[in-house]
Amino acid sequence: MKSLGILIASIIISSVSFSQTVIIGCVKDEKGVSLVGANVYLEGTYDGTSSNSNGTFKLTTKEIGKQILIIDFIGFKSFEQAVVLNGYPIELSIVLQEAFNELNAVTITAGTFEAGDKKKSIAITSLDMVTTAGSAGDVYGALRSLPGTTTVGESGKLYVKGGDSRESNTYIDGTLVYVPYSSSAPNTSVRGRFNPYMFSGTMFSTGGYSAEYGQALSSVLSLTTNEIDINDELNIGILSVGGDIGGTKAWKKASLSATFGYNNLKPYMFLVPQNNDWINEPTSMSGDISFRLKTPKSGMLKFYSKTSQSKLELFQNDLNNPGEKNAYRLVNDNIFANASWTGELKKDWILYAGTSFTNNNDDATIDSLGLNKSLQGIHTKVMVSHKLSQTIKIKAGTELYSKQYCVDYISSIGKFTEQFSNNTLTGFLESEIYTSQKFVTRLGSRFEYSDFLQKGNFAPRLSTAYKLTPKSQVSLSYGWFFQNPDDDFLVKTNGLDYEQANHYTFNYILKGNNRELRSELYYKEYKKLFKYGEVEPNIYTNNGNGYAYGLDIFWRDNKTIKRGEYWVSYSYINAERNYLDFPEQAVPNFTSKHNLTFVYKHWIGELRSLVGGTYRISSPRYYNNPNTAEFNAEQTIAYQSLDLNWSFLYRQNIIFYASASNVLGFKQQFGYQYASKPNENGAYNSQPILPSAKRFFVLGCFITLTKKGDVNQLDKIN
Amino acid sequence: MKKSILIIAAVLMTSVIFAANMKYYQKMGQTLPKFGECKTIEDYHNLGNEFKVIANVEKEEWLPLYYHAQCNIIMSFMNCDAAQKDEFLEIANESITKMIAIAPKESEVYALQAFYCTGKLVVNPQERAQKYGPLSAQAIGMSLGLDPENPRAQYIKISNEKGTAQFFGQDTQIYCTQAQELLDKWDDYKVKSRIHPSWGKQQVEGIVNSCGQTN
Repeated sequence: MKSLGILIASIIISSVSFSQTVIIGCVKDEKGVSLVGANVYLEGTYDGTSSNSNGTFKLTTKEIGKQILIIDFIGFKSFEQAVVLNGYPIELSIVLQEAFNELNAVTITAGTFEAGDKKKSIAITSLDMVTTAGSAGDVYGALRSLPGTTTVGESGKLYVKGGDSRESNTYIDGTLVYVPYSSSAPNTSVRGRFNPYMFSGTMFSTGGYSAEYGQALSSVLSLTTNEIDINDELNIGILSVGGDIGGTKAWKKASLSATFGYNNLKPYMFLVPQNNDWINEPTSMSGDISFRLKTPKSGMLKFYSKTSQSKLELFQNDLNNPGEKNAYRLVNDNIFANASWTGELKKDWILYAGTSFTNNNDDATIDSLGLNKSLQGIHTKVMVSHKLSQTIKIKAGTELYSKQYCVDYISSIGKFTEQFSNNTLTGFLESEIYTSQKFVTRLGSRFEYSDFLQKGNFAPRLSTAYKLTPKSQVSLSYGWFFQNPDDDFLVKTNGLDYEQANHYTFNYILKGNNRELRSELYYKEYKKLFKYGEVEPNIYTNNGNGYAYGLDIFWRDNKTIKRGEYWVSYSYINAERNYLDFPEQAVPNFTSKHNLTFVYKHWIGELRSLVGGTYRISSPRYYNNPNTAEFNAEQTIAYQSLDLNWSFLYRQNIIFYASASNVLGFKQQFGYQYASKPNENGAYNSQPILPSAKRFFVLGCFITLTKKGDVNQLDKIN
Repeated sequence: MKKSILIIAAVLMTSVIFAANMKYYQKMGQTLPKFGECKTIEDYHNLGNEFKVIANVEKEEWLPLYYHAQCNIIMSFMNCDAAQKDEFLEIANESITKMIAIAPKESEVYALQAFYCTGKLVVNPQERAQKYGPLSAQAIGMSLGLDPENPRAQYIKISNEKGTAQFFGQDTQIYCTQAQELLDKWDDYKVKSRIHPSWGKQQVEGIVNSCGQTN
């Protein structure tokens, strides 16, 4: 008992006599720069202070004995040091090491435009897709304002870096969309099937993409749909060309929404003169359903399905018989459905599983002849990502692409059918290794086997990025890319091989302060492209080849002009190929050597309006005139367009929208169409390929009604 | 003897716990008034550091996390650079997430979450209003659901709605009236303890004053 008393007394005395210890020091980073505001404290106690503007600190504590001093600062590794506190001042000089932080680390940017919630890139966002003039709410329209793309007015599809439109693939939540574009008459422009409002993340790669993606020679567009909806909503959209109505029901961990849309261009085309001779103007009907469910451990299940039908009928001039017209009729039925789940299996292990289904029928009738094409496709993908350490990530997965394609030729004689089905099994493995915050290497490989071609391919991919300064970086990528030949050839034969493209990309980015400059140099080498036999066109070969090289420049500035933002894209593309029925290597008709796009948006606060304009100019494209000796030697006129749009926020939930394309009325002409056989004078008849109208106008109103959150909104409408 | 030792031990232990608790209240009590002295971003950063140190020790308490997050949200409002604003808000969000895990039934935590969402929104209203507007409203709803009288949740609600009405050129009189009513009964609200959140009165006064000027 006595000894206990002494002990207590001695503790009290000691704590009195050594009442406090002062720790002084300075905090610097590895380069010797003083760190201001570092949190300096003794573990397990309240005693702490912050480093001042010189990076020095003074910590006074009444604690005694052995303690642990901790220094924390955002972006640096936490520093710990044991100290013995006995009343004698302690002086420390502390150097903090930069922590590896994924958010600040360099990223691979060669060939890639990425945007989303967690991405810091300002290249192009989902909002841009809606508000960029000239895109008219079309995902692909907006992407055409980025460098590397060419505008092909008579197609509307995506043409990337000297590649054909079929060399680009679109994925939604990781699953392939076999038929991403709407169907239209030959030489008229198509649109994407999906509403840009659906997506919150976009990754558009114009080359050198990850081993995760295959079966595309030129580019990959990967779209991520919105997260769970949190409000019950009713959406109504009224447009000059149609309208839609949709509803959303939100629960705590799930949401369900459905939309029905109907478009009919007849009234519009009645008011605005058209170049085409319509019998039945285009109409379309669509319905979609989307379901989101949060599963345990931050997992997310997404389901989406869209069914649509579109019809059109018009007269086409029969070039072989001048003065005569053929009625062309097209009915398209399309179903797309996909489901995907992403979630954490255990710490640092993420599983993705997704599958999509496409059923597309294009029934075309030209007078009494019928041409029906039907495609059923299933894409299934399973992928595991594992974080081996802070700096090493591994991704492995497998996919199955299944496709059934069938073409019916219907004439008075009867029906003749051609079809094929193919299953391509793939596997990929990729690692991303950070040697430091400044240097990353991505090494991947991909294997594919097609049971129809009975051939496999192996595609290595390599990308690196190095941060030169906190605001600038360079990125390099190299890879092999394979794709099956077009369905219309496979339906005739399975004696073909994969088409191949090798990409070399060098990219430099300087960004900061809401400005971004990107420049990219690339070279693409095409091999084993499909080609008709030189002597016997019915013999199909893989003897085609080609190349493309060019320079892309992108400058975006959201800073200089208050309330305004703009971007400029310039692409130089030099491409030639010898494929299909080309007699020699020639510039393909879908590339323009020079392409310049200027996009501007301005927010006018007083009018609560976002106004925007897009000006585009592309140098002439080449096309083939069979009446001349030289192949693909004629040039179209240069393409120019100035598009404007205006969005007016009348109320929080009511938006008015207006847009007009080619307001200045530039002459647009996309080359000539020729008869399939010469006339009696030995010449091929021709007619110019024109846009369906000089200008296109859209007027619309979008209304959102919500129940939860702001009840007043319902009243505001009246 | 054995029994008395046990009693002494028990008394000692409770007093240790009590003392620890006292120490926590005391420390919080000493730190909170520093809010009044903060003028620069650096001041708020250093104060946030102090709350972080307390939060590191008191792993079961949500209040140090609350004030740490609040400091960072204020810092985001004071900063001009969008990227830095987001950086501060991310730090705030980390503490908010932890705090909600500790005190999921506390009205104040959601009020601060709503404040955070508003902070995220104002960085880039054009792009973020669609996402963070409803999230802020949802957090306010949670907060008022747990405590309909929470004056801070009411303040954020009025402030958000008034801002929206102003933007759309609508009459803001109703929000001025609401702000005046909130101000009148502000002092009637019983704060749970002297270390619980009690801020907001000045801000509501600000709304009321600005109303007086425009009318």
